[in-house]
Amino acid sequence: MKGISRRRFLAASLAGGAATTLTLSKQAIGAGAFEGYPDGMGVLVDLTRCVGCRSCEAACNKEQNLPAPAAPFDDPSVFDQTGHGGQKRRTDENAYTVVNRYEPEGQEPVYRKFQCNHCNEPACLTSCFVNAYTKTREGAVIYNSKVCVGCRNCMIACPFQVPAYSYSSAFDPVIKKCIFCYDTRLKYGKPPACVESCPQEVMTFGYRKELIKIAQDRIKARPGKYVDHIYGENEVGGTGWMYLAGASFDQLGFDTDLGKEPIISNVKDFLGTVPMVLAIWPALFTGFHLLAKKKDHAGADHSSHNAQEDAEQ
Amino acid sequence: MKTYIEQGIGAVDSPYKDKDKAEKRSWSLVEKLLLGLTAGQYLRQALRNPFNWILGLIFIVGLPLIAGRFWFGLSFATHSSNDYPWGLFLAFGLFTMVPLSASGFMLGTTVEIFGRHDFQPVERLALLNGLLGYFFAVVYLLVDLGQPWRLPYPMFVSFGTAAVLFLVAWHVATYLSVQVAEVSSAFFEWIGWPMGAQFIRKIAVGLTVSGIILSTLHQGALGALFTYAPGKVHPLWYSASFQWIFFFCSAIPAGLCMVIAVSTVVKKTMAWRCDRNFLDNLDNLTIALAKGASMGLITYLTIKLIGIAHDNEWAYLTTGWGQWFLLEMALGVVLPLGLFAYAIRHRMPNLVRGAAFLTIFGIALNRINTALIAFNWKLYQEIPHWKEVVISVTIFAIYIVTYRFILYRLPILFTWKEAPALATETVTEKATSSLGAPALVEMYSKSDR
Amino acid sequence: MNPIANRHKGDREVMQTSAKRLTKMTLLAAAVLLAALPAAAREVPDVVEIAPLAQYYEPVVFDHSMHIEVAEDCSSCHHQTTGTPMLDENCGRCHHAPRTSGAAACAACHAIEPFSAETLRAKEMDNRLYHRDKPGLKAAYHQNCLGCHAEMGGPTGCQDCHGRTEAGDALFNAGAYAPNPAAAAGHH
Repeated sequence: MKGISRRRFLAASLAGGAATTLTLSKQAIGAGAFEGYPDGMGVLVDLTRCVGCRSCEAACNKEQNLPAPAAPFDDPSVFDQTGHGGQKRRTDENAYTVVNRYEPEGQEPVYRKFQCNHCNEPACLTSCFVNAYTKTREGAVIYNSKVCVGCRNCMIACPFQVPAYSYSSAFDPVIKKCIFCYDTRLKYGKPPACVESCPQEVMTFGYRKELIKIAQDRIKARPGKYVDHIYGENEVGGTGWMYLAGASFDQLGFDTDLGKEPIISNVKDFLGTVPMVLAIWPALFTGFHLLAKKKDHAGADHSSHNAQEDAEQ
Repeated sequence: MKTYIEQGIGAVDSPYKDKDKAEKRSWSLVEKLLLGLTAGQYLRQALRNPFNWILGLIFIVGLPLIAGRFWFGLSFATHSSNDYPWGLFLAFGLFTMVPLSASGFMLGTTVEIFGRHDFQPVERLALLNGLLGYFFAVVYLLVDLGQPWRLPYPMFVSFGTAAVLFLVAWHVATYLSVQVAEVSSAFFEWIGWPMGAQFIRKIAVGLTVSGIILSTLHQGALGALFTYAPGKVHPLWYSASFQWIFFFCSAIPAGLCMVIAVSTVVKKTMAWRCDRNFLDNLDNLTIALAKGASMGLITYLTIKLIGIAHDNEWAYLTTGWGQWFLLEMALGVVLPLGLFAYAIRHRMPNLVRGAAFLTIFGIALNRINTALIAFNWKLYQEIPHWKEVVISVTIFAIYIVTYRFILYRLPILFTWKEAPALATETVTEKATSSLGAPALVEMYSKSDR
Repeated sequence: MNPIANRHKGDREVMQTSAKRLTKMTLLAAAVLLAALPAAAREVPDVVEIAPLAQYYEPVVFDHSMHIEVAEDCSSCHHQTTGTPMLDENCGRCHHAPRTSGAAACAACHAIEPFSAETLRAKEMDNRLYHRDKPGLKAAYHQNCLGCHAEMGGPTGCQDCHGRTEAGDALFNAGAYAPNPAAAAGHH
């Protein structure tokens, strides 16, 4: 046989394989620790300033061409509306952002605006099997309705229960959520419509890294005014939209049990097992088969009863 | 059908009419489809069957609802909930039917890999159960998807490779092909193309190993789907580390018990279609399958306890949810285990059958709990829309009709007699695989003369 | 020349000289004082029409003289731009010596577009701690006004200070653009 000997071939393959694995593993250490693009934008939502005027809801409705609401945007009776099981209003196919009123103990009512938080490692993006979501460099998590199949796994995955589905559409139902006004504003360096409309500047638009510093400065400058926590700085791997509040976050409808790991961390262990099974099962079960098969041709079935216990591996 | 068979007509079980006579005429395809009856006879026996009346009623109500779901959108048939995006179509149709269809790879492995050919009489039934279960799971999925015509998108258009659902989509698609191939040997015998059956027999081991790999991964992956929502599923039904193992492990007794259950239904309702090979061995096989199912159940119980210990969830057992969990484990795992143990010891196949149905109920309850009832446990409870229930029942009825259609015709419960001789090759080892059937054995031994 | 004759000027002459000298002195003093006063104090308006942001709401007709009476000090609205010391201790850390700036109007320091790319870039360059977090003009008005009004019982409703325009009614789906109450449908 011309060329390299089998021994040298094997040695070379092993060396190459080892080299590849080592380089790959170096990259793997960094995986899952994405802190957002360096120039990623964000929004700091200061709930001590919100007065519940709902100008943001009105501005979003206009900017995103959403249908007219059931009640005018200056109607405060919506704060008393409850849905299933006493739930307050949530985002749906006609409202990408909602303001709700909360009454924490012994305090003035607090108003909370919520919308997609544009996470650094979005759960919706990682759960989508047609890659319909993209985290843009500007920080927005946007959605491509042209490939969406409508499996609604993203709605299951979002820890903030944000994405909504246009169930009422028969032939083109799609996910509806805040897109950070990407198509009309963020792409051109402009702040989203809700930020611009807010009379109290509840929302401060800027680079995410800057906003964390600003938030820390605000807390330091007025310690009695704020709870010492920036919600979204670390929750589920960090979100683009972060919150400051004057009352504890769990009294304002925030989920404070989310932890710091992005949702994908829960799934990574299983995903890592997949190639293991793909590699091990063929040899394992072919091996069982070869062991179970007897070499004689006498015709009788010689398989022992022990094989039965193996049947439920 | 029983009446006709007593009269000596109907129930095609070989390629030829009048097989005992010297002159052999083949059944035509239409005759095979009508089970050797005339159209009038066939219709009469169908109308006489009360089960068909129930099916008819279900279809009258359900089929328009299914049409409405597609014409008017999902808001027609569901609560259009943004908090509960997945309803009964997925909780029952996908998450329950898939583990119950694990019978395919379980019996395939038992016979082809471990060489236990004594299970051959039920092997084809288990394979068919698997195929139809997965096929109808995909039907349920199509009914649930917002844009079902885009089902091939993750295969061909846009790949989200990090998503667990991507794995599920590819595996289910591939596994369906494997199962079609496995069941096709019965189809080839029936249609009269023995070359096809031979080919399948040759690749049987490869098909089965692929089946095990694919099944392990997607049974587990369906569990891993819930790891995307760690806070939303109640801790007793959720484990960050072991969710996929729970789902995979529980699929094993589910598949085995489905074989017991379906064979029981078949024995009671279409015994005329089963041959002696099937009926005589069924009780023993039922006991044997129960042994396997018990091993699966005790393992599942153990790993659930390990899961609770791992996440230190003992305190939850004293809550309301904890009681519900204990009930599910008691009815679906512990009670069947006890019944199986007693019934196996005392050789009571009917008790085994009862325990098998109980296990299936337990698996269904577990999946529906994980996906629907214990989902969003911190929010409100959502009761599915009545139309979802009706549509789910209707699709299940279609599944039963398809199942029955195939079982009446294809050589699943019986052996296809006298396939045309094909003495083109000599067989060096005794063909004992059922993917080829004893008929081929007969055939080859004849050609050796 | 007789020196004795010059010594005897009339009283009226003397008085006229003194008066001229007094007027000159007064005028000089007044000029000095006027020069010392801050320029703006000369133009304290009674009523201000705040119009730069009017789009969805009418311009605000602001009663300045009334607010001067009820406010603690000029600095409670104008920070330290009117020469009075800052009341806020955070600001006072840097702005301890009262000093006038060019203008007391809010728009002089608070940008109409606080989040435009230019403003954000300017903020990035600015290393003065609190100025990075400076609100825009609209927020400056609202935070300042509403803050005090909430404490002192002044008007806090949107339309209490400025009525909505036609465009505003359209934006809020209110007034002439309110949805038909009969059309509020059930959700399936």
